[in-house]
Amino acid sequence: MIYNILHRTTYKYKYPVSVGDHVACLKPRSFLANQLLQNEMHILPAPRTMTERLDYFGNVLCFFTVQELHKELVVEARSKVRIDKSPAQASSASVPWELSMQRVAHDYSREALNAFQFQFESPRIRIKPEFAEYALQSFLPGRPMREALMDLTTRIYRDFRFDSRATNVRTTIEEVFKKRHGVCQDFAHVQIACLRSINLAARYVSGYLRTYPPPGKPRLVGADASHAWVSAYCRGAGWLDMDPTNNVAPSDGHVTLAWGRDYSDVSPLRGLILGGGNHTLDVAVDMEPVES
Amino acid sequence: MKGELYQSALRYGAAYEESSSDGVTPRPHWSHLMEWLRTIGPEELGQRWARAERRIRENGITYNIYGDPLGANRPWRIDIVPLLIAQEEWQYIEAGVIQRAQLLSRLLEDLYGPQDLLTGGRFPAALLYANPAFLRPLAGVQVPAHTYLHMLAVDLARSPDGQWWVLADRTQAPSGSGYALENRIIVSDLLPELFRTSNVMRLASFFRAQREALSSMADRENPRIVLLTPGPHNETYFEHSYLAKYLGFTLVEGRDLTVRDRRVFLKTVEGLEPVDVILRRVDDSFCDPLELRSESLLGVSGLVDAIVAGNVKVANALGSGVIESAAIMPFLPGLSQHLLGEPLKLPSVATWWCGQPSALAWVLDHLESLVIKPAFPSLGMEPVFGSELAGADREKLIQRMQAHPHEYVAQEQVALSTAPVWENGLLISRSVVLRTYVLNTGKGWVVIPGGLVRVAEATGSVVSMQRGGHSKDIWILSNRPVDTFSMLRPRHEPLELKRLSRIVPSSVADNTFWLGRYVERAENIARILRSMIPGVRRAEESELVSLVRLHGCLATRNSKLPRTKRKKPTFVVFEKELLSMLADPKRADSLPSTLAEVARIGGNVRERLSADMMLLIGKLRDAMQGEPNMPLLDYQAMLTACLELLSAFSGMERENIHRGSGWLFMSLGRRLERAMYVTRELREITRPLATEDWSFLERLLEVADSSMSYRARYYTTLQPLAVLDVLMSDATNPRSLDFQLEHLVELYEKLPRHAGDDLQAMHKMLAQLRTIDLQAIHYPSALAGPGKPASNALALHRLDQYLQELERLLPSWSNDLSSRYFSHARTQPVAMGE
Repeated sequence: MIYNILHRTTYKYKYPVSVGDHVACLKPRSFLANQLLQNEMHILPAPRTMTERLDYFGNVLCFFTVQELHKELVVEARSKVRIDKSPAQASSASVPWELSMQRVAHDYSREALNAFQFQFESPRIRIKPEFAEYALQSFLPGRPMREALMDLTTRIYRDFRFDSRATNVRTTIEEVFKKRHGVCQDFAHVQIACLRSINLAARYVSGYLRTYPPPGKPRLVGADASHAWVSAYCRGAGWLDMDPTNNVAPSDGHVTLAWGRDYSDVSPLRGLILGGGNHTLDVAVDMEPVES
Repeated sequence: MKGELYQSALRYGAAYEESSSDGVTPRPHWSHLMEWLRTIGPEELGQRWARAERRIRENGITYNIYGDPLGANRPWRIDIVPLLIAQEEWQYIEAGVIQRAQLLSRLLEDLYGPQDLLTGGRFPAALLYANPAFLRPLAGVQVPAHTYLHMLAVDLARSPDGQWWVLADRTQAPSGSGYALENRIIVSDLLPELFRTSNVMRLASFFRAQREALSSMADRENPRIVLLTPGPHNETYFEHSYLAKYLGFTLVEGRDLTVRDRRVFLKTVEGLEPVDVILRRVDDSFCDPLELRSESLLGVSGLVDAIVAGNVKVANALGSGVIESAAIMPFLPGLSQHLLGEPLKLPSVATWWCGQPSALAWVLDHLESLVIKPAFPSLGMEPVFGSELAGADREKLIQRMQAHPHEYVAQEQVALSTAPVWENGLLISRSVVLRTYVLNTGKGWVVIPGGLVRVAEATGSVVSMQRGGHSKDIWILSNRPVDTFSMLRPRHEPLELKRLSRIVPSSVADNTFWLGRYVERAENIARILRSMIPGVRRAEESELVSLVRLHGCLATRNSKLPRTKRKKPTFVVFEKELLSMLADPKRADSLPSTLAEVARIGGNVRERLSADMMLLIGKLRDAMQGEPNMPLLDYQAMLTACLELLSAFSGMERENIHRGSGWLFMSLGRRLERAMYVTRELREITRPLATEDWSFLERLLEVADSSMSYRARYYTTLQPLAVLDVLMSDATNPRSLDFQLEHLVELYEKLPRHAGDDLQAMHKMLAQLRTIDLQAIHYPSALAGPGKPASNALALHRLDQYLQELERLLPSWSNDLSSRYFSHARTQPVAMGE
């Protein structure tokens, strides 16, 4: 499946901004089943400098500085991505989950280390007994990794209520877990905290999700949103993606943008501004399937 | 008598006493010092010590203690008796710490580079991944290898058997080398005979090497090097300003720097100046709010990107804090063999990192005999002595350690060695810890011949400057002639003569401007208050109008006098108001508050002011500290003393400061403030005044220090118009309005990148002032009443309008100056995210 993706962020400031330093994580990374065909960034006002750099996790970050006095900043990323249907899950995903966990800690290969780094606390993820307790209800002794993971995904989907107004970027994971509501970032964070609390490696995936119009209605342009889900490491089978917000294992409807330890590593756009005062933010995402 | 001095030094305990092995005979390298102390005797030593303490206070050498009831700045505490180490023994330490620095530098290079030590299983990956100080944006970034550990500090202790152990490594922004230098200057000055005859290895060449090492990091000749400090609230700010001054670097805070086009610039009053090298004292994660901690106000947005682009070098490199952890210690012997091919020379104190299951088990079994510390200092946990733990606390700690084993280390407690400390006329043994410094010059490693000794408050307790311990100098006694190079006294090589003024960062200009304003404000307040005291004390009705008007000249916002004009203030109220202005440190516009502000702002630019000037500022801060309930009369003497200090300050300002931008801003501040006061005073004259209240004019002349020149012209005849002439129009009177405006214009024109437009309003006011014809004014009697000015009062009314306009213009002119020269130093970037 090939998609044209438009991701437009508009900041409106109360007072003029004289200098704005920004980091955008808006260029989809390319890997086997997620091939970036094209990407363009359009920024207004035009930045004085713009550089691209890979971060520690291999995501593409775009640094730019706007030095012109402005009250509005528009950052538009246009990407074309080809998604192949996930290959059939390797049989190793059916080995008991404990085995997968134990092996990672004693394996110094690059691949294992690369997974191991996602087992620890990170800026927005805590490791706590209550998360472990919740996770262990799905991760029963000897249960195959994939099955346990899917079960945890389903339980979070059922136990947590999607509420776009209940949380914001500052809401802690403890609070989300206690109140059992939030948005896709919160769902992903909860699942990651549960997995890391039982010593499994789990990472945060930022990306896009294809939405379907109601039967008989045309597709609404710009009504899509950026999305987030999780990926857990299973030794032998590699990384298994799970989307707790929708209770699915992502396939060709999910486009991966970037991954990191949590939201803070891959937030789509952040920065520091001089001046500005209060601001309003508008994000429009459009994901158009162009070819299947 | 003289014998007792030495006898008292000795403590017969389990610890190693540095000065003696048997408690009677000094060790060979201590005998000269002990002999000398005996000769000089406790009395003389006591006197010298008192001198040194005074000097420390006067020089404002401080170490800020968080939450210290004595106030933010506490005098640095130093012991007079140096710790002596013989050169042979020092060579052993030197070799050990150099090897350690090499090893730690290689470790950093690998952790931020290929990470072969992780894939080789030689360094636990969890120790890196769980560590909040591992700065991922810096991984894989090419920086010059010798910036990783430009400087390393190593804390050392000696166990009872005489063996040296490493207690801790400071890898990211080691502090204390400046204090070591200051200690050396004080102690060698205090004991010059002893210092001269002891063949002490000198420190200066170490700092020269540091300066050269930093210069060599830059890509161009004569690079700009800045010392980045978190600011005056940091506990070692004194040292930052001291080192910046000594090494010749510009002291900056994050807000003084900006990144443009991936390059770092210093914001100066002249414009943006490129920066090549940053010697940082800001913790690495706070250095760039864009890529590191977004809430940090201490850093520079875009610094990491400038580093990635190779346009700036930072020492120690950002990220070097990742190994500032005792948790690495158990792995150092193995790493030494692997990376250097030799055994570790200096052992670390026995340490277990609980991230290893076997270590955790051992630690939990032996908790009583261990100290538990955080593996990552950013977690901010205090060390816990296992032996002091019991019951629920113990259980709680064990649970936490089991849940987050990576975050804990356990260490054996070391029985520290002791050294003689001069206390109340006796030498007493106190536990000591040494801190020494290793420098990576890029071509090799150099150890400071000495360092800093920190002394425990009581034997056996924890050694910590943060907890209020004190320090000692270390003397390495050479067996060869020593290099007497001094940074303060250049040697014979020819120097290129320079007339370049020092670069003035905008924030420094901002501070010096306000220093000028506050010093002048303090002087005006002091003068006005002094002139009010006799009237309040006499409490004669005839003085009341004069007092009200003088009080009006203060323009105080926190007045305790009745607000309405109808209600006349009583003398009791006046006395209260006066006392509060004189003595209330909590009242924002009181004299003590104003002087405290002078001291605070002076402290912000201390590296720009001479030692004498800082000394005066220190005295000014304390100038109005009276006894509680002191009578008004005593305050009069205090005010006079305070005014003497203030005039000493202005004398220095005129005669001892180079006429660079810094001086210009200070003088502008002073002129502006004085213009504001004199304008208010003139307005008090232009309001109708009954002849019987003309004593006010006399007081005002006193305030303006113009009584003499007035009398020389008009003898004793007191007339408002003549007073107006002296205080307003007389261009030769340095306190007249004309003088202030003329100098404001003149000073402003000397500023870099000034614009002519800015001066238009000021020029206009000056021109108008000079057309005012005082002869044409008939001063009205009070009977005319303020409500309907008599025709002969019209001219006076116009004069008052002129003064009102000036009252509006002066503050707005100050604001314009601020926004033109200082504003970019004041704005803080704001973090935003989706």
